[in-house]
Amino acid sequence: MLETARDLTLEAARDATAARRSATRGMSTVHLKKLLDSRSERDVLEGLRRVIAMSYRQEPTHSLFTHLIKNIASPSLEIKKLVYAYLLQHAESSPDTALLSINSIQKSLTDQNPQLRALALRVMSGIRVPVISQIVSLGIKRGVGDMSPYVRKAAALAILKCYRLDPGTEPQMIEYLAALLGDKQYFVAGAAVSAFLEVCPDRLDLIHPHYRSLLRKLLDMDEWSQLDTLRLMGNYARRCFPRRKRRVKRLIDKRGTSTNTKGFYDGSSSGSEENTSNKDAFYDEIILDPDLSLLLESAASLLQSRNSAVVLAVTRTYLYLGTDSHVDQAIGPLIALLRSASDIQYIALHNIIQVCLLRPKAFVPYATHFLVRSTDAPHIWQLKLELLTLIYPLCTSPLQGLILSELDHLSRGHDTLLVREAVRAVGRCAQNSDGSTSSRCLRLLLSHIHSPDGHLVAESLEVVRHLIQRDPATHQSIVIRLAKNLDTLTNPYARASIIWLVGEFAGIDPENNIAADVLRILVKGFVDEAEVAKLQIVLLAAKVYVHYLNLTQPTASSFEQSAQVKTSTVLAPNDDEDRLRESTFAVNKYEPDRSAEDSLKGPEHPIVVIWRYIQLLSRYDTSYDLRDRARLYRSLLAVPSSTQLASLVLLAPKPVPQAPSPSETRRDLLLGSSSLIVGEEGGIGGLRGYEKLPDWVKESEEPNPGLREEGFDNNYGEKREVSASEKLEVMESEKTLSNNVVGGSNTNGHKQKALNDWLDESDSEEGETEEETDEETTEDDSEGEGSETDEGEKVMLMKER
Amino acid sequence: MGAIEALYIFDEHNNSILQHTYNGHPASAKVLLPLYLAQPAPRPSLTYLPNINPATLLFSIIQDRLLFLCPTSKDIEPLLVLEFLHRVADVLEDFLGSPLLASRIEASYDVVAQLLGEMCDASAIANTEPNALHDLVEPPSKINELLRGVGLPSSSPSLNPSGSTPFSLGSGPRPTIPRAPPPTPTVLWRKANVRHTSNELYVDIVETLSVLSAPSGRPLAAFAHGTIAFTAKVSGVPNLLLNLSVPGGIQHVLSLPVFHPCVRLARWREKPGELSFIPPDGRFVLAGYEVDLLGPDYLENATKAVSAKPHQKHNVAPNLNLPATAEVRTNLGHSGAEFEVRLLLSNSFTSSASSSLASSQSSAARSAPRPAFGIAAGTSAQPTVSDITVTVPLPPAVRNLSDIRANKGEAHFAPSDGAVEWRIASKDVAVLAASGHGAGGAAVATLRCTVVGPLNDDEEGIEEIAWGETWEYQDDKPYQAPGVKDVGGDKGRDTRRMGKNRMLMPSAARVSFQVKGWLASGIRVERLIVDTQTSRGLGAGVKPYTGAKYLTVSEGGVEVRC
Repeated sequence: MLETARDLTLEAARDATAARRSATRGMSTVHLKKLLDSRSERDVLEGLRRVIAMSYRQEPTHSLFTHLIKNIASPSLEIKKLVYAYLLQHAESSPDTALLSINSIQKSLTDQNPQLRALALRVMSGIRVPVISQIVSLGIKRGVGDMSPYVRKAAALAILKCYRLDPGTEPQMIEYLAALLGDKQYFVAGAAVSAFLEVCPDRLDLIHPHYRSLLRKLLDMDEWSQLDTLRLMGNYARRCFPRRKRRVKRLIDKRGTSTNTKGFYDGSSSGSEENTSNKDAFYDEIILDPDLSLLLESAASLLQSRNSAVVLAVTRTYLYLGTDSHVDQAIGPLIALLRSASDIQYIALHNIIQVCLLRPKAFVPYATHFLVRSTDAPHIWQLKLELLTLIYPLCTSPLQGLILSELDHLSRGHDTLLVREAVRAVGRCAQNSDGSTSSRCLRLLLSHIHSPDGHLVAESLEVVRHLIQRDPATHQSIVIRLAKNLDTLTNPYARASIIWLVGEFAGIDPENNIAADVLRILVKGFVDEAEVAKLQIVLLAAKVYVHYLNLTQPTASSFEQSAQVKTSTVLAPNDDEDRLRESTFAVNKYEPDRSAEDSLKGPEHPIVVIWRYIQLLSRYDTSYDLRDRARLYRSLLAVPSSTQLASLVLLAPKPVPQAPSPSETRRDLLLGSSSLIVGEEGGIGGLRGYEKLPDWVKESEEPNPGLREEGFDNNYGEKREVSASEKLEVMESEKTLSNNVVGGSNTNGHKQKALNDWLDESDSEEGETEEETDEETTEDDSEGEGSETDEGEKVMLMKER
Repeated sequence: MGAIEALYIFDEHNNSILQHTYNGHPASAKVLLPLYLAQPAPRPSLTYLPNINPATLLFSIIQDRLLFLCPTSKDIEPLLVLEFLHRVADVLEDFLGSPLLASRIEASYDVVAQLLGEMCDASAIANTEPNALHDLVEPPSKINELLRGVGLPSSSPSLNPSGSTPFSLGSGPRPTIPRAPPPTPTVLWRKANVRHTSNELYVDIVETLSVLSAPSGRPLAAFAHGTIAFTAKVSGVPNLLLNLSVPGGIQHVLSLPVFHPCVRLARWREKPGELSFIPPDGRFVLAGYEVDLLGPDYLENATKAVSAKPHQKHNVAPNLNLPATAEVRTNLGHSGAEFEVRLLLSNSFTSSASSSLASSQSSAARSAPRPAFGIAAGTSAQPTVSDITVTVPLPPAVRNLSDIRANKGEAHFAPSDGAVEWRIASKDVAVLAASGHGAGGAAVATLRCTVVGPLNDDEEGIEEIAWGETWEYQDDKPYQAPGVKDVGGDKGRDTRRMGKNRMLMPSAARVSFQVKGWLASGIRVERLIVDTQTSRGLGAGVKPYTGAKYLTVSEGGVEVRC
């Protein structure tokens, strides 16, 4: 209670100051200059704070720059930091003034305080004024040799900035990088890797000697360096380890893996080697280079990282470099990313889909993670739906039931977009699975027909139509069932869809086809139909009529064909035109005549009567589109004996509609890249700066594996590189052997100190801080490398896992 | 590969409060904000803006109602940027106080400038550990602020003695002599020379429920997303050992864990449930995990059970023991315009009035030192439910609710959100529990609402036909129902209205609540010890206070479909 009360008072006071401050926000530059020029540290600080606040508020501060710069020589670290912060943001806009500061920064490079040295190096390299690149380069050179790892880390990052400033310094930078890549401090090496990726990503020869040590440090690096290292290693592995395969006889229990492995290889760029002939007896086993295995194993622990980017980077490494079992290891951690905030979830889902396209089977156990919740944003549920449809064909029957009822539920919702996507998802489920499950989907879709929701009905029928078109032979009965629904169905788009389907099936099994009968019934209510439906009815009539003509005049289409063609080419055009003209002007007069003429041959066939009736109805419709189309069909079918053109137009086989998974187009994009998320919008070949993983190096073109042997080119003295976990083991054993190692009596020298020892040491250090600082500075001066080792050792030990 | 080019922060009214450029010449905040806002409301975290120069990838997160934008002009790992933005938000919150407010950032631009500079060094992310940053950047001390406001020198020695002041608000010892070289930390994530007068260790395990039930009441998926938050206020460099246990074995129950980098993974793999680590100073998230409350084979078993006993669908739910769940029945009443939500409260949780009092005490008892694992009475012995809210989202076509009747608690409809919110106060829960011990071992509260649809649907009988004419012109689907005349009669109209009202029914209800002292997964902290052998800097014989708190939260996480 007390605490909160005090908090409140403080808060109130703070708010009051804030108010006061905003009142003085427009403090005159004269006053500010006075503050900055003041001798009192406190005044200068106050002035600096205000200037920084002004610059963040986008208020002009240029006039104060020179006054501000003066303070860079201040002995106060706090003032220095603020001047540096300002300098970094504004040096570029007034380079001449910024140059004034270089001298004093250079002085700081030799300060006793490593933090200040690191800071100075950072700021000097961060001033984006190209003329100083040589000075920066010198500063980096000094920093690379510094004994504090923090300064070396700053040097590594400065390399990157110096290179950006002046690419001409590249040779020097590469030289420094070579030294830093082998640094035994993991955070120095990590920073060096980031710089390497920017400065000279193709100089893999620099990596060879440090390959193994970098991997051993991987676990201890900070998350951002881990990301960079994994990226580097992805490129490195592709260029240095050829993909070797061995033909292995399949075990007797076939575990059903053959198709899956195939899918996986197809996705990777080495897919061309895949050979399908030996599918039954043999399969290709990937032989991993021991060094590549080291990479894959070192990355395994990172799958438990709290950083989603790291988890994804490991997955990428496994997907493009490892084997199936590696990928399977990463599936769970990928799913765990869905627990994060929705912004991360969105990116994670895109990447999960990408992996799922290659290995859907592995995601089946996690199906319930993809169920759509009512709070999901559209961009999230869209991806979830896609995942559900991707894994659907591989699910067990109860799971399929679950997914279907899920989609069913969603399609009954209120969000039109969601309804549409859910129905389409059902369609994708159906097209990707075998007969029985497919018909299950179809039944589900058909049950939507009587829904009061027009969108749902129309969308369902659209999908049903696609499904039927894909496999017309087995779906004939469904068309009949749909046609029955025409009596009650009210949604015009749904009606149009069904009528079109009936028309498509009009030619099958002519003896008891329903098309003609459906047409007869529809014609009765033609006037009350909506335009979309009317259009389809006219089309149906035309189709039925063509089929009728083709049936009744088999001779025309078979042996008299050639003659027919001749006559029609000669006569028909004119005839047609004449007839058309006549009919447009004098139908009422002409038609009865013709029917009278026809009736001489006997009672007319009902189809002909209906056809003529439809023509009449459509001619006087209010819609010009309908009238035009009707006229088109009429002229097509004007000559009963010549139906070739009409058949070609009306009965052409329709292409089978395909509905691939929406992310199918992104299949080739690199996992974990922005291009993958943006998709087609980013242009062909991804966004600017998108880099594909290089292809596997060809056998016998890879660099000599001996280059990776340690000690081959070891210029930074890694005599004994022991991983942290090994160290722990050593220590544990030591502890059990002799639990009484106390104080600084370490017999084994610096390298073999046990945890107890240095902890003791740090304890005593704490007791006498002042003395300690003295000690450190003297150590720094005199001992150099020795104290350095100590520091490094400590950090390593604390990280043991 | 791209890089982080700038960071822009906007307040809740989308006013720019901070613009920090890291590298290059990215598009300015003025250009980006309108383009970002132009997208429809739940905006994705990554958008591509090809029509500005340079073509920009824009990353965004929203934390504490502040909008963080980060533009880059080249392809970059999106998660890297998003994680970075989250870290920036967390670090700012850590330094400036929680919740993160625009005014707080504006009041300490100097600290923010230093932090942003340290965290990302010319587009390479450098240092994001809050503890390490505390070594480098001094947090704005509130005392300083206060004194500056009054006009007193803040570094007056009498007011600001070295070491931790009693008012230092947990920011730890401040390096007060700026010229002395600050010691380099021994562990990346832990501050150097941590000292506390009272040594305390707290474990807070929070599980967030995510349950989805089918209309039949059968759960489809039930997960608890757990977070282990740890508060370490211990001097020196302690080496801690935390043991978790759960009936059924931790390795079977707890899945997909993620850990703070301080946790020794090898130890966890060897002995699941054992976390060995050197904590950062202060509060941090030690681990996250997931528990499938239904068990792995649930789906298969459930279908078998259903096929065996098709009439007992409701009983196949496994031991999913939720404190509160709901049932929704729709299309009630003679025109089908009503729906009913029944809230079911499990008896094992419903609190008597006294225990809910105890729970409120226990939450306040946090600051007081507690004996080691003597879990305060009333928390875990009798878990208490509070803050029960049922949210029923309604379709946008619903114009209003003409009638809202709740037999307990208060309900109201907010047309802007399109949802009914029904809150039940703790005392009502207590009353319910006392009165309704029937109904299958659960207390029940009901809410009944009547929906009112779009205007033109209200018209009755004859008018409807008259309306038909004009309707044609309003909507582009003129032949809405050619069969009206055929059906005719009262009965026909009723069924038609039923159908229409079905379009106005909710499709789900979400239940929110909080349970103190109970975890859905049943995980418990078995013990938390400081390994004195390997810990340093903790005075001899000092035994830190340790405490554990359990909390299960459902933020609309229990979703029932209908």
